[in-house]
Amino acid sequence: MSVARRLRLSHLSLYRRLMIWLLCPLLILVAIMLLQAWFASREAADRAFDRLLDAASLSIAEQVRWQQSRLWMDLPPSALEMLATDARERVFYALYDARGQFVTGNRSLPSLPPGDSGQMSYGDVDSRGMSVRLGVLRSRLEGWDRSDRFEVRVAQTREGREALANQLFLSSFVNIALIALLAMVVVLLSARFALEPLTRLRRAIRQRDPRTLAPLELKLPRELAELRQALNELLARMRRVRANQERFIGDASHQLRTPLAGLSARAELALRQDDPKAWREALDTMHDSAAKTARLAGQLLSLTRLNNPEATPASQSVDLVALAQRCVREAFSRCHRRGIDLGVEVPDGNLRVAATEWQLEEALNNLIENASLYGASRITVRVTADPLCLMVEDDGPGIPESQRLLVLRPFHRGQESGSGTGLGLAIVDGIARAHDIRLSLHDTHPDHPERPGLCIVLTFPSGG
Amino acid sequence: MPRAAGTLGFALWSLITGLLALMPVGASATTLHFGAQGDTARPLSIYGVLDPPQMRPLLEDFHRRNPDIAIDYHNLETLALHTRVLQERDAPQADVIMSPAMPWQYQLANEGLSAGVDSVAAEAWPSWARWRHELFGVTFEPIVMVYRRDLAERMAPPQSHADLLARLNDHSDTLHGRVVTYDPRLSGAGYTYAIEDARISARYWDLVEALGRSDAALETTTQAMLEGLSDGRYWIGYNLIGSYVQNYVATHPELVMVVPQDYALVLQRLVMMMRNAPHPDTAARFIDYLLSSAAQTLLATRTTLGAVHPRVDGEGTAQALRARLGDAIRPVEIGPGLLATLDTLKRQTLLEQWQQAFENRATFSDGPLGDPAPLPAPLPASPQEPSNP
Repeated sequence: MSVARRLRLSHLSLYRRLMIWLLCPLLILVAIMLLQAWFASREAADRAFDRLLDAASLSIAEQVRWQQSRLWMDLPPSALEMLATDARERVFYALYDARGQFVTGNRSLPSLPPGDSGQMSYGDVDSRGMSVRLGVLRSRLEGWDRSDRFEVRVAQTREGREALANQLFLSSFVNIALIALLAMVVVLLSARFALEPLTRLRRAIRQRDPRTLAPLELKLPRELAELRQALNELLARMRRVRANQERFIGDASHQLRTPLAGLSARAELALRQDDPKAWREALDTMHDSAAKTARLAGQLLSLTRLNNPEATPASQSVDLVALAQRCVREAFSRCHRRGIDLGVEVPDGNLRVAATEWQLEEALNNLIENASLYGASRITVRVTADPLCLMVEDDGPGIPESQRLLVLRPFHRGQESGSGTGLGLAIVDGIARAHDIRLSLHDTHPDHPERPGLCIVLTFPSGG
Repeated sequence: MPRAAGTLGFALWSLITGLLALMPVGASATTLHFGAQGDTARPLSIYGVLDPPQMRPLLEDFHRRNPDIAIDYHNLETLALHTRVLQERDAPQADVIMSPAMPWQYQLANEGLSAGVDSVAAEAWPSWARWRHELFGVTFEPIVMVYRRDLAERMAPPQSHADLLARLNDHSDTLHGRVVTYDPRLSGAGYTYAIEDARISARYWDLVEALGRSDAALETTTQAMLEGLSDGRYWIGYNLIGSYVQNYVATHPELVMVVPQDYALVLQRLVMMMRNAPHPDTAARFIDYLLSSAAQTLLATRTTLGAVHPRVDGEGTAQALRARLGDAIRPVEIGPGLLATLDTLKRQTLLEQWQQAFENRATFSDGPLGDPAPLPAPLPASPQEPSNP
């Protein structure tokens, strides 16, 4: 777990990531170049020193002749001396006849398979514990009567080659190191330049007034321009949300101010009178008005709570049948006083849904209240099992089809005459959204154009 | 048969013991030993080709400076040293070997039997007198000519190779049988000088022909030649080892040593530390000592071997000889060219050519020659050694 966390690179800064992704390949590249330079320098040193083996063996081969019925050689000392460079290599030579028999030499040396080109072949061999470079020259006698084949084998130890190879490698190493250093500086600088727009964006965001939601205007490279656009879209959404909220707050204050102003005026009027009967009348009116205002405040509160995305109340299993019966029972007397016929039609047994009970109850109460406030004389609450629906029907004036979306907005009232707060349907809509319930509005009696009535259907998600 | 062999063995034994009894005491001591003072003796074993009278001052001085080292010095013949080192190549008994047989020493080093000595002195040693840090030429011994003082009454004594050739041509009758030199067929040292002479100048062969015409005597050791010169049998000796001659001439005023002025071969005693030496520490200290100016001064003043060290000057040093003769000084190069000297076919080729020149005849067209005699001891150990049979 800890290893996995350590390996995760998401917490690294962009700059570091760039560094890692640029410098690691660079280092690998440098390592490969160094390796290649190492082998190349050894090869170059071998090539240079193999010339010496070549020259020495040729110079020896020139001295080979046929004499006293055998291969004969007058070994030139200079041939051996040319093999010893400043590094004072150890030098070995041997002459072998056509059958591979040792003729003369200071050490027996192995043969080598014929090379690709020329008479000479070279190889690294181990001779009595010494690592030596061996050159084998295949030649034959140039004479009138004999043309025997023979091999001149010369070898030298590797000190001179290694010194040269190291010297060559050192100069390559210095070059490669310089180039790598330069590349690293370029990488560092270019990473800084490439990330500079990001710094500008960050500064631009930081320096903004925290209250402003104006879009960002900043010249940026394409990749960051997309980010800027996304940011601007988010800002635009936030602007709309804030406009809605401001309108809502304005509406709410307006709605609360009107009844409060009424209350104040009524109280003032009553205070100017001395008749207790008039006072009582005024108090009755004020009570009604205060109750209405209280309900408005309560509804505002519930709307705010519904609109708060961070408050998601736990859902529980709710019996729709019991809920409908309970709400109707509670609203019955109130409706009865207004002369409204409130009824309930439910199937037998339970119909359970997963929901927040108080919210469903609030929604149903609002629907009943709404219907009773907008001139219905008969209200029916109905629960159906298939599809699982909760309906509230009335025989009121109904809502024209063009108005049906608007009435769901807060403080929109279908008609000015009613005494509603204009929040009821908005609250129902909020609850429906929170529960993933489909809210639809119909005419109850479409064939009755004068009073079509309104039927509001809450369809619960299947399997919910 | 066993009885006969026993008799022969006894005869040989008496001969050898008889010879030993005849030899001077100094020469019979083939080992020198210096015990260590103190509790912890650190041994050092040296094989060398240098007689105790010359070696002793050197070892004494070293021992005085390093009293904790117990020294064992074995004086051997060059060929014996060579074969013994080869026999012991996997488990050497000697720490340091020192021999004037340059090709043989070089061959051992080239074979990888030497070990590197990493010291300031080794690094500073002149590069012409060393091979890597393994083989060091510590002495400087010119190859010289010797003539009898009374020769000057008959002719101008030769001062160079060219002079010698001219005297041989002009006075061939007078000098008949009176010139002596090494027999390269029997002496390793003579062979080495012949090969070097031949490399330096093609006129060497003229000289050999002239020597042959005057029926020059051939010896196998410097000592034998010096004795013959002293006796009056020979008048001029050619190619003698300078260090021995110097020693001898000091007590024989009738002889004069000449370092040839046109060119003088110079041989060097080559010292090396053995690979897998049993006591590498003391070996390195001894070699360091040999390369020090103290040892080199001692070589120049108390022996006839000659010093190499560039800061040691005066009589008997390479500096003095170079100052006197300049470019004519030709030290035998310590390099792979020496390997050619040891090549069997090369040796046969050169000896045939030498013989041909010496006998003034053409041989090859007449038919193949027999193989020459096996390689003898390459160099004499010292002036005091008995003559080779």
